[in-house]
Amino acid sequence: MAGCSGRTQRAPGSLLAEQQQEPALSGDGSKLAVIVDQRGRPTVQLKDLRGGGRLQLRHLNGQQPHSSPSLSWNGRYLAVIIQRGNRRLVLIEDRLNGRAHPLRLPSGRYPVRLSLAPDGRQLAVQTADRGRWQVELLDLSGLLEPDRRGGLRRSNPAEPQP
Amino acid sequence: MTIQWPRLAALLLGLCLIGCGPSGLRPERGISSALQRSSDSRRWPSMGNRWLASIASRNGRERVELVDLRNGQPVPLPGINQADAQPISVSVSADGNRIALVRSRDGRTELMLYRRGVGLLQRLPVEPAGVPREVSLDGSGRLLAVQVSRQGRWDVDLIRLP
Repeated sequence: MAGCSGRTQRAPGSLLAEQQQEPALSGDGSKLAVIVDQRGRPTVQLKDLRGGGRLQLRHLNGQQPHSSPSLSWNGRYLAVIIQRGNRRLVLIEDRLNGRAHPLRLPSGRYPVRLSLAPDGRQLAVQTADRGRWQVELLDLSGLLEPDRRGGLRRSNPAEPQP
Repeated sequence: MTIQWPRLAALLLGLCLIGCGPSGLRPERGISSALQRSSDSRRWPSMGNRWLASIASRNGRERVELVDLRNGQPVPLPGINQADAQPISVSVSADGNRIALVRSRDGRTELMLYRRGVGLLQRLPVEPAGVPREVSLDGSGRLLAVQVSRQGRWDVDLIRLP
C-alpha cells in the first residue's frame, strides 16, 4: 500500500471558534456545506470556496436541527434533513429559483442520512427499518431540473444565478 | 365526442398512484429492494452519477460496496476491504472511479483513497495530526473535504489530490 499526499488547507471558518461538521462538497468543488452549532442548534451553512464568504439559504431557519447536507453539481440544490414539529423530513432547497421541496419518504420511514446525485436527479436516503439500516433510492426527475456539469439552466432568467 | 368523466378521473388517479409518490418523488423500488436483499444492513450512502457507494453489512462484517445503478449490481473493488479494517464513512466521485473512506484499523483511524481503475488503496496523511471522521469528494475526485477532530474540536480540512 503506497502513501499519497495531497495539499491540505482548512475550510473557510475553521480558523475561527466555530466548529464544523458533516462536510459536503458540490460536484464542481466550488461550494461546501457544513453543519455548525448556531446558539446550540445544528445549522447548515453554505460556503463559496472560490469567492469566499457564505451563501444565503432561504428556507431552513427555525427547522433545526439540520443534518446530512448534500449538494448537486453546481450547488444549485442543497438537500438536508430538517426538523418540522416532531418529524424529520428531507428538504431540498433550489437556490436558483428560490423554491423549497419538503419531502416525506414514500416508505414512511424517517431519514437518517442523505446523498444527492451530482445531477440532482436521484436521492439516496439511509433509513431505519425494524432495527436495520437500509438505503432507499428515489427518483427526483419529476421534481427537479438537472444540475449538470458545465452550467446552470435558468428556470427564470430574471433571477440571479447561485 | 363525449368525455367520460368518471373513467378519465379513475385513469388519472390510477396513473398518479402508480407513477408518483408525494411531490413528484418516485421510489426506485427495484434497486431499493435489490439493495435490501443483498445485505443485512446498509448505511452511509454516497451518490455518483449512476453509482452508489455505501457500507453494507453481511454476517456481521461491514464492507465498502459500489453499486452500478444501471443494473443494480455491485462492481468488484479489489483491495478496498481488509479483514482487520472497519469502514466508518465513504464518499464516491461522480464517475465512480475514486472512493474516499475513513476506516478503523489496529486501533487507529485512517483516511484512505481508493482508485478503482488501478485497484489501489492509499493512505492520506492528516496534517496537522487529527482523527478523521467524515469525507466528501467533489465530482472529479480531486478535492476532498474531511471532518477532523483536533484537540477536542471539529474542523473541516480541504485536501487537493493529485
